[in-house]
Formats: sequence, structure tokens, C-alpha cells
Amino acid sequence: MSQATLGIRRISGHAGPAPGEDVERAEQVCKLIDTTTCIGCKACEVACLEWNGYTFTDTVFDNSYQTMPETAWNYWNLIKFNEHEREDGSITLLMRKDQCMHCADPGCLAACPADGAIVQYTNGIVDFQQANCIGCGYCVTGCPFDIPKFNPATKKMFKCTLCVDRVSEGLEPACIKSCPTGCLHFGSKDDMKGLAETRATQLRENFGFAKAGVYDPAGVGGTGVIYVLHDVTNPEAYGGLPKDPRIPLLVRLWKGPVKWLGGWSMFFGVLGVAIHYLRYGPKIPQDGHDNRDDSAPGHRDEGVKP
Amino acid sequence: MTNGWIDIKNTDMMLIMGGNPAENHPCGFKWAIEAKRTRNAKMIVVDPRYTRTAATSDLFLQIRAGSDIAFLGGMLRYAIENNRIAHDYLVNYTNAAFIVKEGFQLPEDGLYSGFDPATQTYDKATWNYQEGGDLSGEAATAAPVSGHSSASPLPAHTQPATNQSGPGLTGQGYQGASGAGAKTAEPAKPAPTLPSNTAYDLTLQHPRCVFQLLKQQYSRYTPEMVERITGIPKDQFLKAADLFTSVRKDGDMKQVGTILYAVGWTQHSFGTQIIRAAAILQLLLGNIGRAGGGINALRGHSNIQGATDMGGVFDIWPGYLKTPSPADVDLATYLKRTTPTSSKPAPWESFNYWSNMPKFTVSYLKAMYGDAATKENDFGFHYMPKVDRNYSWTQIWDNMYRGSVKGMLAFGMNGVAIGPDSQKNIDALKKADWLVVGEIYPDETSEFWKSPGITAEEMKTINTTVYRLACAGFAEKDGSMTNSARWLQWKNVAIPPPGEARLDQDIVAQIFLRVRDLYQKEGGKYPDPILNLTWAYTNAQHPALGDLAKELNGNALADLTDPKTQVTIKRGQQLPGFAWLKDDGTTSCGNWLYSGCWTEAGNQLARRGTDDPSGQGIYQNWAWSWPANRRVMYNRASCDSSGKPWDATRKQVWWNESTQLWVGNDVPDFKPDSHPKDHMGPFIMNPEGIGRIFGPLAALADGPFPEHYEPIESPVQNALHPNQSNNPVVKKFTTAADKYATPGDGFNIICTTYRLTEHYHYWTKNNQMNVQLIPEPFVEIPVELAAELGIKGNDKVKVTSARSYYVAKAFVTKRIKPMTIDGKKIYQIGIPIHQGYRGIQEDAGRNARTILNRLTPTVVDPNAYTPEFKGFLVKLEKA
Amino acid sequence: MTTQALYVKESSDDQLERYSFAERIWHWLGGLSYTYCMLSGLALFTPYLYWLAAVLGGGPTARFWHPWVSLVFLATVLWMYAKWLADLRITDIDHRWVEHINDYVTNRDESLPPQGRFNAGQKVFYWVMFWAVLVLLVSGIVMWFPEWFRPNFHFILPIAVIFHEAAALISIGAIIIHIYMGVFMEPKSLRAMIHGRVSRAWARAYHRLWYERVTEGTSTEK
Repeated sequence: MSQATLGIRRISGHAGPAPGEDVERAEQVCKLIDTTTCIGCKACEVACLEWNGYTFTDTVFDNSYQTMPETAWNYWNLIKFNEHEREDGSITLLMRKDQCMHCADPGCLAACPADGAIVQYTNGIVDFQQANCIGCGYCVTGCPFDIPKFNPATKKMFKCTLCVDRVSEGLEPACIKSCPTGCLHFGSKDDMKGLAETRATQLRENFGFAKAGVYDPAGVGGTGVIYVLHDVTNPEAYGGLPKDPRIPLLVRLWKGPVKWLGGWSMFFGVLGVAIHYLRYGPKIPQDGHDNRDDSAPGHRDEGVKP
Repeated sequence: MTNGWIDIKNTDMMLIMGGNPAENHPCGFKWAIEAKRTRNAKMIVVDPRYTRTAATSDLFLQIRAGSDIAFLGGMLRYAIENNRIAHDYLVNYTNAAFIVKEGFQLPEDGLYSGFDPATQTYDKATWNYQEGGDLSGEAATAAPVSGHSSASPLPAHTQPATNQSGPGLTGQGYQGASGAGAKTAEPAKPAPTLPSNTAYDLTLQHPRCVFQLLKQQYSRYTPEMVERITGIPKDQFLKAADLFTSVRKDGDMKQVGTILYAVGWTQHSFGTQIIRAAAILQLLLGNIGRAGGGINALRGHSNIQGATDMGGVFDIWPGYLKTPSPADVDLATYLKRTTPTSSKPAPWESFNYWSNMPKFTVSYLKAMYGDAATKENDFGFHYMPKVDRNYSWTQIWDNMYRGSVKGMLAFGMNGVAIGPDSQKNIDALKKADWLVVGEIYPDETSEFWKSPGITAEEMKTINTTVYRLACAGFAEKDGSMTNSARWLQWKNVAIPPPGEARLDQDIVAQIFLRVRDLYQKEGGKYPDPILNLTWAYTNAQHPALGDLAKELNGNALADLTDPKTQVTIKRGQQLPGFAWLKDDGTTSCGNWLYSGCWTEAGNQLARRGTDDPSGQGIYQNWAWSWPANRRVMYNRASCDSSGKPWDATRKQVWWNESTQLWVGNDVPDFKPDSHPKDHMGPFIMNPEGIGRIFGPLAALADGPFPEHYEPIESPVQNALHPNQSNNPVVKKFTTAADKYATPGDGFNIICTTYRLTEHYHYWTKNNQMNVQLIPEPFVEIPVELAAELGIKGNDKVKVTSARSYYVAKAFVTKRIKPMTIDGKKIYQIGIPIHQGYRGIQEDAGRNARTILNRLTPTVVDPNAYTPEFKGFLVKLEKA
Repeated sequence: MTTQALYVKESSDDQLERYSFAERIWHWLGGLSYTYCMLSGLALFTPYLYWLAAVLGGGPTARFWHPWVSLVFLATVLWMYAKWLADLRITDIDHRWVEHINDYVTNRDESLPPQGRFNAGQKVFYWVMFWAVLVLLVSGIVMWFPEWFRPNFHFILPIAVIFHEAAALISIGAIIIHIYMGVFMEPKSLRAMIHGRVSRAWARAYHRLWYERVTEGTSTEK
């Protein structure tokens, strides 16, 4: 979204290294979402919309407080509401702010074929550059959180930018600024991780949530958005947060071995036929007495005519 | 709020009941979260539905709507039985030790002593303390030491005074010893008064002492009874009771618990008594006056506290002064009736701050009538209307429905949608001659004449003239708003009003000036109140809100000198605070509580100091709070009787022996030089000086202690006294529109109403953003009930009450469970207010265009006149 | 070859029509559409070939046309199926031919059994392309409209991608051989596909069964 002047660590669809590949910036930015203090007020939804300049669209009531079933290309931030039955039969309402997780190892970027359509800045933000996006939707395939969304009018993909335009100017993302309860925090990954662990420990020790923990899935190298969950062993209950998100193995295969295997196969295929030609040359009809047309000038057969 | 929003962060324990702050007060709710995060504070949520507040709670109990007193009564019993009480606090700061008059009877059969079935009112003569002295047979431990008399006059350099909380009530609780004007106007004989020298028993053993009566009253509220009435299983109730009262485990006074509530408590035919029950519980636990404690009303609108403070109801003037009744033949009679005299055990002191009533009243009249208010004409006392009966909200509509009210100015509210019984209100407006609506959007009220169901033919018969005036929105005007924490915060204009929209005060000014011109030109019946009204604003046509704030603060009308400090205020100068007010006409003050808001130092409301040296979130230099910039009221009670804070880590105020003054992080809500040994009570607004566990005389219309009564429409009989199921003093309305259901008629589902965090009352249906977040009206239905009726999520359903019906989509949820009430299986459903027949979705034909309040009954709390929006009976079917 | 030569051949009596005008049109339509799909596909396949997208009108353009053009290719394959199915059936002759594949590869064609209109290699090529295009079609639809599958069947997306790639790579392998055979190994095939005719001798040599079928009762030679 933004063309902020940030160092770039990874570039999608890019031949060769990224300029900031080796730059390990001191601070990885991180958003902490403490679901145990989220009240589902949707201030973050509105702030996101307003900061990013999207207008409001029609929605339909769907047996839930949830604004819409899932995030949209122009609605990047959505609280997911889930009525969850606890083991003792009591009911709870789990509310989780859903948005791009800004994976350290982003599946969207891995899958993207378009040079520079997805970049990862050295501060960890994963950002779509719509100018370079070709609308192929491979990022959808690569994302284990099902975040990138397609705008059919412009044929470009969109998702949360972690307000890179604000962050690069030293501001916190809009959702963080709007949160009334302090359920959202923003800072360096180390700080947020510490804060989250402290909170999870507090929940375990003082509030009876024995399974409270921090959701920072290792399968995608950790995320730039981390959650404190009442029950970290059951993230699926929070509106389908994957338990062990990974870039799909097939995407790895596709972007790794298959790419190289395919590339080299094609290369050796062409090389093979060339060598074959040099070794065996073209086919000549055995009973070549009927070869008038072969006398045509410039015909390749001429030279090897027996 | 006795305390404030930020102060919630100081708590150890929260009981959230009759309110849903996470949804309706999300910004303030951050402090509840903060307390959990920084203090490991626990949160108990009791609600008919599992709300978004419940989602952050440590313990949630689903209660039947309208059974709150039973729950709180059970808590009181549990605290007493398990000795989870603040004993010293109770003895010294409440009337627990006071002896109640012989003849007083507890409502074991549902009625207190003195009930007159013919008038449905109580003779409250027995609801009083006994005259006498110490009956405990031992010297009062806190007897004053001679030589420390605190009879010295009020020092001018401090401003000690306070007021009771007021939140949620329409001035109730301000009826000191003599009761409110409107309600005590009837009797010709002088109303009984409190004895000046009350009998008491500091051992709390006397059978008629308040504590023993309390114990007896709630002995009936056993956990089993709580379960029968509220539907909360006994074990869950005991868990909650144990948790909440655990702050007083082993008599330890360090911990503090708070109670947060909102209109879930007030909107019942016994709403005031629910809040009373909570206040008693807090007194019993010693939680009032303390940081992180209190009884806290969360106001549902940004400035509803300000509206109440400014006398936005019929029975109070600004600053909770009482409206005069026709019996008040002159100012002296009025002041005699409204000014309480202290009533206390002889060795104790009582500040009795309402004894300053004459100063507040005369200064108010001077603000109203200026030079026309003279000593000779009782300072214009007779210019003010005498209120002869009840003119509360539902009465106004009832009167219009009956044809006696012919016109209405409706500003800043959507009367038809607000209800109760919207159809009755619509039908009432059809009979009016004229209606003026000042609004920022076309609303249901201004278009009542084309509400659903009105045919073109009928429309022709409606002769009401409707004037719709475009007003300015909140961002289009400056001025201040008073929040739940009693802070007056100044705001600036963000954008000018669009098009022809005008500021409300400009419209009011235009109307007033034209009416005054007419009186000047044509005379008329008693023009004096209009012609003499002060209108001394810089621009009379467009009064600036700053001018009004200055008027409320008050100024000196003569040179004033404080005899003690020799500080002088010149004539015309703004007053530093209400301690300077005089009853001789030398001061003017529009609202004594707001005195100090705009002093010679300028606009105090616009202060933005962010220093908080104590770390308790007091922020003395941020905006300005009434009274006298105090943040926690009754904060004297945060110290033991020797003046030492109960909890040294949360020091609010304390007695400084060397300066012989009360000092602190907050402004002491007390007489600053009253030595602890004088034993002055911390509840200085009560003539007793103490907190009232027993509400004597006319403090309340329906009993000195709260008693559980069923809502007017209830699926069960009162388990405590089936023969007196409802609140005995509540009267039903009697027009043809006023119908009330019984379960026998097939209305057997309890319905409750509420607001969603995505919406703001009725007007955000004109805002795309809010509409997108929750686009359509819905009815929350328990899964089990939906299965019984064959209703699936998103199906259209019709809810019918005895009055009308409502159509919306079904929200089938597990968050409301079926309940067992007194052995009966009972369902509750919930419906949010918001949608109507004007708005984005409505205009586009995307919803059913019915107003929720068509369902609600016209029946009100006898003290605050708040309608019973929570807990009425309905039928449910697939539409 | 020169235009002059072509004209000479067109008028030659001893030539046989190998491909009708329609067949040639469809073949080259297929060739062109396949080439576009291959190049645009390769652009998205590896960053080292992303520059191809620029050649084809830019990334978004290439992404836009790739699926549409692939439908053209699909149509050509289906047309060929309808037109040539009889000639493309795998027979015992083909099995024998495959047994002698080494002779074919090393240009000892005389050792091969006589072939029909298409030899086994050509048939195999067609069927490879046929099945590849079906796999490409099914997986391609998923990739074309990931939004349709994303919410509930996200797991299908990477499977589709892998099948698409595998099928594409196999078809590219086949195409490499096809072009090599047609252009370099048997230049007359190219010319046959351009002007539709081949010499009787050529036909007799490489597609004797076909030659016999089309010349039956008309042949004047020998």
C-alpha cells in the first residue's frame, strides 16, 4: 500500500537478493492482541477503515455480532465472535481481532510471482505493493491465515499493511490507537513478547486460565501480530485461528524443488535435443529417390543428403 | 458515580450488574481492565445475558431480569452470616447502631408498616429513628473530647461540601429529612422530622438497631430463596457471594470492592431500591468513600449527568435543590421545609451540609432574576413555578394522551422511540396541537404522523402542526459535558453547523426573546417571571456557552470578605466556589454544585493538566469535577476514625496532626478542620452525617430497606410473599393504551432491552459506519427456545407484548440459557434498541420499521419515575 | 524454404495432402495459444523468467490473458480430438513401434514397423497434451478464481498449483520434443503443417500405412 522509505528484506517474485536481506534491524515491530481483554467494540474496525480511506458498504445480519463473515479487500480488520462452550458446559464469547499476521516467513510473499508485489520491510512488516500486483491470487494460496483478498474491480490483492505509512513515521497503527481497553499494544517484538508472556503468566496464576498462553506460531517463523489466548491449546475456537499454521508444504515444494527441477528440466530438455541433433541429425527418407523438392535452395536437408 | 472512571483501576473487586460497561461504556471500561491487569482484580458479572462485559469477567451469573434485589439481599445476608463486614466502619460511619422507632415493621408479608391500600402510599411516621441517647450501656467509644468543638464557621479558603451521587436517579436521595417537594406536598400537617438526638447502640445488639433489622430483613434471602427467585443456582450464587465479600475476609480493611451499574438497575418498578441494596452492601463492606470502591452509576449519554445536575427533571432545580410546592407559601416556608437539621447521636458531630440550602437557593434566584430578585419580594421566589404533582416523563405523555398537554418542544431526544409504549406516545402526539422538534436528523418523533400503520386516510385526520428545526450536533458546538465521574470537560467546536442548522441555545434564545417581546407588547397573565428573567449575555441573540458557564459558577454582587482569612472578592468578580455563597442576595450562582467551574482564574473546565502525583488517577488539574473538584466523594470514609487511611498504599486524604487539618491527594470531602476525635460523620450531605443503611422517613417511597418485588409483568408470583407480588406503591397507568400482560394470557417469555456498543441510542441509524457494524434489528433468543419454536438464526420473528408487536431477525444464541424460576422453566429473550422507521436502512426498506419500545409497558419506579424497560412479558413466534 | 519452393510443391502432382486447411489453422492456433500460455506461465513460474511477462504486455496483462488464451488452446485440443481421434487410437503397431523406439531415436527408421497417419510418438504427444490440458484446465480454474475456493476449500489451492505446474512442465517437455521433431528432425513435417502437402516418398517412408490408405486405388507409382 505504502511506498514508505523502509529497508526491504524480502521481495516477492524477485530474481536475486533483496537490498536489505542481511540487514537485521534492531527492532522488529509487533502488534500484541490480548484477547482476554478484548470487548469486541469494533473501534479497531472503524479506525482501520477510516485511516485507510475506505467507505462503508452494505452488510447483512448473520446471527452474530460479527460485522461480516470474514475480512474483505476493503475491510482488513475484523473482530471474529465465537460463542464457545467450555469444558464445564459454561458459555463464553471469544472475540478475536482478525487481520494480517505479518509472518516472519510470509507465505503470501513466498507464493507471489510478481516482482515486488509483496515486500517485507526490515522492521518485519509485510506489505502489498498494488502497483506491482498482477492479481494472480497466489498469495491466497500461500497464506495459512487466509488473509489476502481480491478486489475484482482493480484486480489487485489487498490486506492490512500494519499501517506501514504510520509506523514509518513513528506512529502506532490506527487500530492500536483506537483501542479503548488497551487490549492492543504495539512495539518491538521483544517487548510485546515479554508483555504477552507476563500477561499469560498472570492469567495462569491469578485468573485460573491454566492453558493461557501466547500465540506466536513457529511454523511461519513467528508473527508480527501475536495473541494472548485464554486457551492457547485451542486457537481454532477463536474463529478459526490455525493451531500450527505453516506455509502449505505444496507451496514450499512449488516454490522450491519444483521450480528448480522444472527449470533445470526445461534447460536440459532443450540441451538434450540439441545434442541429439548434433549426434543424429535430421531424419532422411530411406528410399530417397523421390526427393525433388529437396533440391529447393537453402533447405537444411541438403547438406546431409546421402 | 461516588468515585470516577479512572478510580476503578484502584479496585480489587468488581461487581458489574445492571450494566454492560464493555458495550455501553467501552472507553471507561478500560479502567476495569486496568484493575484486572495491574491489581489482579476480580470481576463478577451478573446479567440476564452473557454480554461482552461477561466475556472479560472472572465469574458470570445469568440472572432473571428484575430479580436483582433478591440477589443483593442474598449477598447482604451472606456478608452478615459470614462476618464479612467492616465492623468499625459500620459502627462509626453508618446508621447501623441507630435505634429505629417502635412500631416499625419489616415487610415479611410484603408491606412495611404504615401502608394505606386505598392510596397505595405509606405513612412513614414509623420509618424513623428513636429519640434518645446511648442504649448500649457503655460510653460511646468515639465520644468527642471536650475542647475540640468544631462549631467554627466554614473557612472561606476551602470548599467542603458534597452531594450524594445522584447518578441514575432523578434527584432522589436528595430528599433530606423532609422529602421531595412534589411528593410531600399533599399532607397539610407538618411532615415528621428526624429526631435531633437519636438513640443508638454501638454494640449493634439492640433488637431495633438498624443492624439487627437489616439482619432480620435479609435473613429470608437464603441461598435457596435466591435460587428460587433469580434462577441462579445456589452453588454459583455462593461462589459469587464468597468472592465479592472476600475483600472483608477476617475483617481486613485494606482491600476494596466496587459496584458498577447502569440502567439495568434503574429501569425497574423498584429500580431505586436495587441501587439502595447495592449501596447498603457497600456500606456494610466499608467500600464507600474509598479509592477503588463506591457505588458507581455509569451514565449512558455523554452529558446525562450534566442534565441531571442542571435540574433536567421536574422535581429538582439545578444543584438538586427541590422544586417548591403550592404549600410553600413564601421563601421562608420553603426553606424551612427543605433545609434539614442535623439528627445524630448526641456525642457525635454532623456537618449537615444541606443546612446551607438557603445560600444555594437565594443565590440561584439571584442568578435567575438578578436585580429583580430582592429581599422584599423573596428574591423572586414566586416567579418560580410551584409543582403541584408529578410531571415526570411518562406523565407528560399520559397527559398528552388524555388531551391536557397540547404542545411539546422536543430537543435532543427522540420521544417516540424512547418510549415506553411508543404507540401510546404516537397516539398522544396525534392529539397535540403542535410539536417542535430540534434534531440533527429527521427522526421518528417529528414523523410520528407517518409511522407504520397510519393510513393515508388517517393521516388527513392528524392536525398536529410539526415544526422541525435543524440543530447543531455535538461536534458543532462548544461548551462542556459532565461525565459519569462528575467531571465537567470543555470542548471546542470542530466544524460549524451545516446549512440552516442552528445552535440549540440560539433557538432557545430566539424563542425566549420573542415571547418576552410579546409579553412586553401585549402584557398577559403574570408576565413578571418572563420580563424579569436575567438575560445578561454578551450577545442576547446568541448566548455564548462560556457566558452560561460563568453564570452557573456565580459572581459577587457586592464586595465580600471572608472574616477568617480577610480575603476579599470585589463586586462583579467570579466566585472561587460555593463556600462563598450568601443567603442575603450578595451572591449569584446558577448551580451551586458547579460553583468553581469558571473562576477569576478562567475556565476550569478546559484545564488539561496530566500530572497525577499519587498515581491513583486523581488528575486534580484535568478539567474540573463537582463538588469543589473532588474526585472521590465521602473520602473521609477512606480513613479509620482516627483519621488514618485504611490502606496506606491508597492514601486519598488523612488527618494531619501538625496542621490540624484534613489534607490529601484528593480534596477532602469534609470539614477540613474537624478533628477525628469530634467524630463528625463522613457523609456530610445527610443530616445524620452517616451513611444510611436504613433510609428514614420520606427518603424513599417504597421502604427504608429494599425488598424484592416482582416486575409488574412477571411469569411468577413473588416467592417471598405471593400475596404482595409487586411493589405496593407502584401504580399502573389507566388509559386505554396501558395494557399489562399476565402469564395466563400466554405472555410467558421475559423480555429485556438494551443497547449495543455499535450503536448510539437511536440516531446512529443515520450513520453508515454504525449501520454497517450491526445492519439490522434482531432478537436474541436462547437456542433451546428457538428449537422449541422451530426458529433458525436469521429467520424473521415477531415479538408481541400486551401493547404491540415488534418484528426483527432471530439471533439464536447460546449466551442466554433457559432458567428455572421457582420450579418453572422460564425463557428470557433480549432485544437491542436502535432501529425505527427513519434511518439509512429504514429509508431503504431494509428493516421491519417497528420501534422496540412499542413493546414496553408504561409503569415507573416510584422514586425516580424511570420506566420499567427491563423484564416485561412477551410472546414469540416466527413472522 | 522459400516461397518459391512452396509454390512448386503446391502444384506438384506427386504430393499428397497431409493436413487440410482447417487442420493447419487449428494446429497453429493451438501452437500460438500454447506458446502464449507457456511463456506467460513461465513468467509466473520463476522470477528468472518474470521478464517474459513484460514482453507479453506486463504482469497483470499476462495474468489476465493466460487463462483466456488457455481456453483457446483447450478448444484446439478438443477439435483435434474430434477430428483425429481415429488416427490417434493407440494400436498394436504403436506398441511395436515403441519397442523399436531406440531405432527411431537413432534415425534407423528402416527398422521401424510401418506407421499410420501418426506414428506412436505423435500419438503419445497428443495424449500427453490432451491429459495435460485437462489437468491444467481443472487446476487452472481453481487458480483462476481462488476466491471461489478460498473460504472453505483453501487446501485445494496448493494442490491445484502443484498439479498445474506438473502438467505444464510435462507438456513443455512434450512440446520441446514436438518442436524439435517437427522443425529440426523432420523438417518436412513443418512444411506439411504449413502448406499441407508431403511427397509420396516421404509419406511412404514414414507413414506407410497412411500412405497406402490414401493412395489405395489411385496410386500410379510402382
